[in-house]
Amino acid sequence: MRVLVVEDDKGIAEGLAAHLSRAGHAVDCTPGIAPAWRALTAEAFDVVLLDLGLADGDGTDLLRRLRQAPAGRLPDPATPVLIMTARDQVSSRIAGLDLGADDYLTKPFDPDELAARMRALTRRLAGRAETTIRYGDLEMDPAARTVRRAGEPVELSAREFSVLLALIEARPHVLSRAQIEAKLYNWDSALESNAIEVHVHRLRRKLGDTLVRTVRGVGYYVPAEPGA
Amino acid sequence: MKAARGPSLTRHLLAWALAALTLVWATFILFGYATGEHEADELTDGHLASVSSLLLPLGPEALRGNGRTAPPNGRDFKAHDYQRSLTVVSWDTQGRVLARTGDAPMPPFTPDEGFATLALGNPPEPWRTFARWDPEHEHKLMVLLSEAERDDLATDIAGQVIEPGLWLLPVVALVLGLAIHRGLRPLRALAAQVHALDTQGAQKVEAPVRFQELAATVDAINRLVDRYHAALTRERALANEFAHELRTPLASIALQARGIQDTPSGPAQQQALARLQEDALRAGEVLAHLLALARTSRAELDEAAETLDLDALARRVVSEFAPAAHAAGRELGLSSSGPFPLSGHPVLLELALRNLVQNALAHTPPGTQIEVELDPAGGILQVSDDGPLRTGSPGEATPAAVQPLRLGLGHRVVEKVAALHGATFEPDVPLPGQRRGWRLRFNTQRELQA
Repeated sequence: MRVLVVEDDKGIAEGLAAHLSRAGHAVDCTPGIAPAWRALTAEAFDVVLLDLGLADGDGTDLLRRLRQAPAGRLPDPATPVLIMTARDQVSSRIAGLDLGADDYLTKPFDPDELAARMRALTRRLAGRAETTIRYGDLEMDPAARTVRRAGEPVELSAREFSVLLALIEARPHVLSRAQIEAKLYNWDSALESNAIEVHVHRLRRKLGDTLVRTVRGVGYYVPAEPGA
Repeated sequence: MKAARGPSLTRHLLAWALAALTLVWATFILFGYATGEHEADELTDGHLASVSSLLLPLGPEALRGNGRTAPPNGRDFKAHDYQRSLTVVSWDTQGRVLARTGDAPMPPFTPDEGFATLALGNPPEPWRTFARWDPEHEHKLMVLLSEAERDDLATDIAGQVIEPGLWLLPVVALVLGLAIHRGLRPLRALAAQVHALDTQGAQKVEAPVRFQELAATVDAINRLVDRYHAALTRERALANEFAHELRTPLASIALQARGIQDTPSGPAQQQALARLQEDALRAGEVLAHLLALARTSRAELDEAAETLDLDALARRVVSEFAPAAHAAGRELGLSSSGPFPLSGHPVLLELALRNLVQNALAHTPPGTQIEVELDPAGGILQVSDDGPLRTGSPGEATPAAVQPLRLGLGHRVVEKVAALHGATFEPDVPLPGQRRGWRLRFNTQRELQA
């Protein structure tokens, strides 16, 4: 999952980036509203973790601007936003949620709770209630980051899992290589040009050739129904 | 919130109005009685004179009738409330009684004429008399009326005047009560509105007020609500700032702790540990500020004020921060003309000065010259810098040892400490040479008096 952390405290930003990266997310951090807006305008993020008390203004300004942005181009006004703030008053929570935040977490928080809430956000966005994703005999658990095929566990690397998750969640739409890269790598990652091909190749080796299909010159997709 | 149970204003007003009314009524009654008595006097005197004028020309024979005296008791013929029982006595010049009617005791014979009040009978009772001689001075006529009977008449007349008033008083009280109740309706409506005010929501008395007496009250209440709300907003903002300042390092600590748990020992873990320590110290620093501010709100601080030398305090703070400032490329110095005696709280003043120095170090580019300036004569403590002259981004290479509060919060802390010392805080004062200063101006007069 591609995550944008808008947080001016270096300790939190670095801690979050490290924790979420270990969980297989691609995390970018910005310390203020202006760089966050630039990031959102440049790339699509799966979720924004937004602090409210920022050095260059209040995080709610960014949220308001994002929700008022025109649909159909970047920044995407539908981007899920999770507010993480020290303001714990009910009125602040209500104001934040009413402005269009999808969730609200008070500092300090348990990193696992944050990850769970992020998963819930994306699950809600994808329109499913189950915590696991079933596709034919394949069962993916985004929380545990495990995959089972016909009940048997399949060993996948963090990146392979992320590629598969991105394609299955987007099915039957085709994702370009750049779109998949954007979900896997942050700005600082040194990316090799054939990284996605390598991950897809390994996925096919472990899960069979029919799961991930190639559209030459465009990208990859997973069919709507298994075996279609 | 429940209304405090107290005396009702309606009842209070009604009691006063009724008391005033009763007083006025009682005065009228007294006057009425006095007037009744006076008029009864006049009436009976006139009556006595009239009877004598009527009987005198007729002579004593008229009293004797057909050889017999008139009925001894005039009361037998009483047909009217105001009819009095008169006694008439006629004498000759020798003082012999020629004729007598009525039941009055026999008055002594005197040659005097005119009105008199005589004590007659046994026991003696007062009688009002009128005596006259006939024009030939051959016989004298005296008409008598018991004073007790005259007083009965006066009481009767006064009673007739008073009686309607006594009947009317309860009716008037009832009408007065209703009028007062209705008249106080705007006040009750206002009281209900004030009672229902939600001060948390900065709700004011919005309904239009027709009466000037109430308008002033409503104005005062609305002003108070504004002031209260402004104070509440300030306090909330301060609480938010402190929550942010305290929770941020705690959130960071939680994340770093998880990082240390999840990563194998190595440079990354060491870095997380260092960050953990830094955050813990920062949380401690914020707590120290919080505690100091909490203590500033206590009234007994006034008593805890002591005489201190701001110069010595500033020297201590500057020497403490100087090494870290120099290491980060800022120059920190002190400019003071000597001792700066002041009555105050050393811990709080140091807190304020540390805040200003920390902010100056953290929000200026490297190369900045920061000066702590003291002017005992002008009562000024100031932290100035030439940050605007320097290139580089503010906060760049902030000294690691400097953990400033956020600018707004730091200033609020300084403001509060200044207010406690009767001083004013002037932030971002432009100074010559593109310098700027953050100034605490103490009231030197007050200090001198102290």
